[in-house]
Amino acid sequence: MGELAVVGKSVTRIDAEEKVTGQTVYGYDLVLPRMLYGKALFSTRPHAIIKRIDTDRARRYPGVHAVITGADAPWIHGETIKDTPFLAQGKVRYVGEPIAAVAAVDEDTAQAAVALIEVEYEDLPAYFSPEEASQPGAVAIHEDYPKYHKADFIVTNPLPNVCEHFKLRTGDVEQGFRKSDIILEQRYRVPTIQHAAMEPHSAHAMVDDSGKLTVWVPNDAPFRVRTETAEALGLPPEKIRYINPYQGGGFGSKGGLKVERIAIALAYHTKGRPVRVKFNRQETFVSTATRHGAIVRIKSGVKSDGALVAREITIYWDAGAYSEKSPTVCIRGSLPSPGPYRIPHVKVDGYAVYTNKPVAGAFRGYGIPQGAWACEQHMDDLAKRLRMDPLEFRLKNIFVDGDIAYWGEELHNVGLKETLLKATDAIGWGKTERLDPKAFKIGKGFACIAKPTRTPTTSNASVLVNSQGKVTILAGTVEIGQGCSTMLSQVAAEELGIPLENIRMHPLDTDVIPFDSSTTSSRSTFHMGNAVRHAAIHAREQIAEMTSGILEAPVEELRFSNAQVFLERDPGRALAIGDVIRKQLGLEGIIRGNGSYTYELGKDVDPQTGHSDHASAFYMYATQAAEVAVDEETGRVRLLRVVAAHDVGKAINPLNCVAQVEGGLAMGIGAALHEELVVDDKGKVRNSSFLDYHLVTSLDMPEMKTIIVECPTPDGPYGAKGLGEPGLAPTPAAIGNAVADALGIRIYDLPLTPERIYWAIQAATD
Amino acid sequence: MHTKIQIRLNGKIQTLTVPPFRLLLDLLRDEIGLTGTKEGCGTGDCGACTVLLNGKPVNSCLVLSGELDGADILTIEGLKIGPHLHPVQQAFVQEGGAQCGYCTPGMLMMTKALLEENVNPTEEEIRFALSGNLCRCTGYAKIIQAVQIAAAELRKSGK
Repeated sequence: MGELAVVGKSVTRIDAEEKVTGQTVYGYDLVLPRMLYGKALFSTRPHAIIKRIDTDRARRYPGVHAVITGADAPWIHGETIKDTPFLAQGKVRYVGEPIAAVAAVDEDTAQAAVALIEVEYEDLPAYFSPEEASQPGAVAIHEDYPKYHKADFIVTNPLPNVCEHFKLRTGDVEQGFRKSDIILEQRYRVPTIQHAAMEPHSAHAMVDDSGKLTVWVPNDAPFRVRTETAEALGLPPEKIRYINPYQGGGFGSKGGLKVERIAIALAYHTKGRPVRVKFNRQETFVSTATRHGAIVRIKSGVKSDGALVAREITIYWDAGAYSEKSPTVCIRGSLPSPGPYRIPHVKVDGYAVYTNKPVAGAFRGYGIPQGAWACEQHMDDLAKRLRMDPLEFRLKNIFVDGDIAYWGEELHNVGLKETLLKATDAIGWGKTERLDPKAFKIGKGFACIAKPTRTPTTSNASVLVNSQGKVTILAGTVEIGQGCSTMLSQVAAEELGIPLENIRMHPLDTDVIPFDSSTTSSRSTFHMGNAVRHAAIHAREQIAEMTSGILEAPVEELRFSNAQVFLERDPGRALAIGDVIRKQLGLEGIIRGNGSYTYELGKDVDPQTGHSDHASAFYMYATQAAEVAVDEETGRVRLLRVVAAHDVGKAINPLNCVAQVEGGLAMGIGAALHEELVVDDKGKVRNSSFLDYHLVTSLDMPEMKTIIVECPTPDGPYGAKGLGEPGLAPTPAAIGNAVADALGIRIYDLPLTPERIYWAIQAATD
Repeated sequence: MHTKIQIRLNGKIQTLTVPPFRLLLDLLRDEIGLTGTKEGCGTGDCGACTVLLNGKPVNSCLVLSGELDGADILTIEGLKIGPHLHPVQQAFVQEGGAQCGYCTPGMLMMTKALLEENVNPTEEEIRFALSGNLCRCTGYAKIIQAVQIAAAELRKSGK
């Protein structure tokens, strides 16, 4: 590979100008001709049988076109376990579950009609904690669970309400504990939080006369949701079309069938008119998706020299009322929960457990933050027991190239140690530069993670080059704000020698765009980056072939740069790329290059042992460090600064890499210090607004330093790995370790609110 | 019941007949079709719908149309100066101040209001001014940087 011209450069985002001028059309902005407006009625009970629904008054309300209940939309969906009705079928399982829906001439009318629907319930026992719900004798939230259609890899368990049981078995932990000099056992808790993307959820749907269903929705996996819809409705996929308007952030919440299913169900009752269903902020908080709360029990054995010998982990994932992504969050979050360390004896049990709470789903980080909160603080406490520096302790055990991870995979291209050394150096680990001001305690901490990506998956792309030398990329990666359209354009520009300003992404439409697995799991730079690169090379080869004939020169001697093809030994002999195509194919000529990428070695983990020799196409490694000042009188944590060192393989756009990390840090800081979706003992979410759910603001953010480490993977485009998710994964644990360093007190539960810290200080001084 | 109001919207006088309880946000987005102003919460907590009303930043989800007769309203669609990006827009492009972009119009309108009042704000003043505008993507660093760059540009050009 020669010198790179565009890849590796911090070019400005190609979507920036339309965003700063208000021209970008998001899902929430979309208007369709003759559209009707839908609103849903949501359950007010956490677990109840629906005795009766009376929709008569709603149907008679002027301006109403359709009123539907579960009986009118008798469909069940689910990505890995088919357990979720489009609208409640005879019972409700959480406060906020859609029961009925109305389509009307405007939103106010629809809402007024919804208020006229009467529901009579018969309450059932409800569970709000996964430990409680999985106690022997608990009432089944899904009494038909054994009969549900499930993906092959689902592992069931006889405990009540467990929808997936992940098992990892390596060595013999009991023997490992017997050989250890120190054993430490702890229990950590992570609360449920919410994505809170700035754009609330919405979907538009229409069924035309031919029976074709079209859905306009900013969904992060249009092809996957098309499959899920097809399976639920019993339609062939070609009868369904998903069109993706711009997405105003998602972070995992905007995938699968959420608001979509209400719009789809209504569209079957509006005689061909499109229906728009918009969730308001409160509905978005409660009735879309949340991040799994988790209870993590961790037990470790170490030798007195600091060598880790054994680790046993049990995680209860709070799935909420439906399985959604819980099985795969449970698998991919539990798998690396023992941390990025060499440990000979490991046993992990992850239980995804149904509760009567809002549905937990995918959230940036996919189970890694929960495990890291426990494991990385546990590591510091182990170091303390060993009287060893936490950095030295980690360096003794940390994954390096050639290690066999406890899930059986030989690891390569591991940039973890470099992130650890750089982050701790930047925070001044081991140095005390600041004196404790009166009443404040200063502390530093850090945390490491390794994150796998969903494997195996596939990306396809096409690159079109026209006779004006303009390029259109057809790729199914969704621009959710992460900058994929800029990144993919840089890849195409690099391979074609065509300037960025001549390259555009085609809007995402499943009828037009080649298949892509999803825009999730930090997989796009690696997988779609490869696919677009291959497609661009394919287009370039065709253009080179044509040029070779015109210039009477061998293909190998041709070079592409500045929108031109030229002879390397005689750059004066050059043709504009557009002219080549025009000469060969005429004014309307278009070259199409196709590319496809699947990580062929990828293999799902064995469901009984948790083992795979290629569990992930690549791993993302990171270390973050924090310095805090804790006010001992009030318990308030003031973040002084945070440092994030991330191994990205190769930064295709360094500015956008830093932007991803900074955004991740902000989420991690929110999760560390204030975020918790509070559910009361009646199952109602108490803080479903931005007034009550504290997102970080510009006043909350400390000084941030991002360090990009490039430990390339030969399989990635130009060596790139992924980066979208890990930015928030180690943050709470790094802050937790800094708080413990400041106070000498370990706090096991998130978030680190002043109240929680105040009481921990009181308890410690009693 | 409808009320007739006359407003100046992005420099153009318009006469509208609207229900007086129609929110300014809905008036802009649904009646006039200017969807650049975003709805993030509808309760005045997120700042995504910020517009300038008689030069002052407001959450347009909290303003009733009935109050608007004679008002001068500037939205994101009116921020460009002729064909050119306003310096705050230019700075957001250049510094990477927009990711998903949904909070961006509100951020830009708030920034314009801040810089019109104080063209040389400290970092603390910028953070305070933008503290009612939530962003879930950026962590604010690049936004604050962009505001500083825009302020410097405005001071240089004496605007």
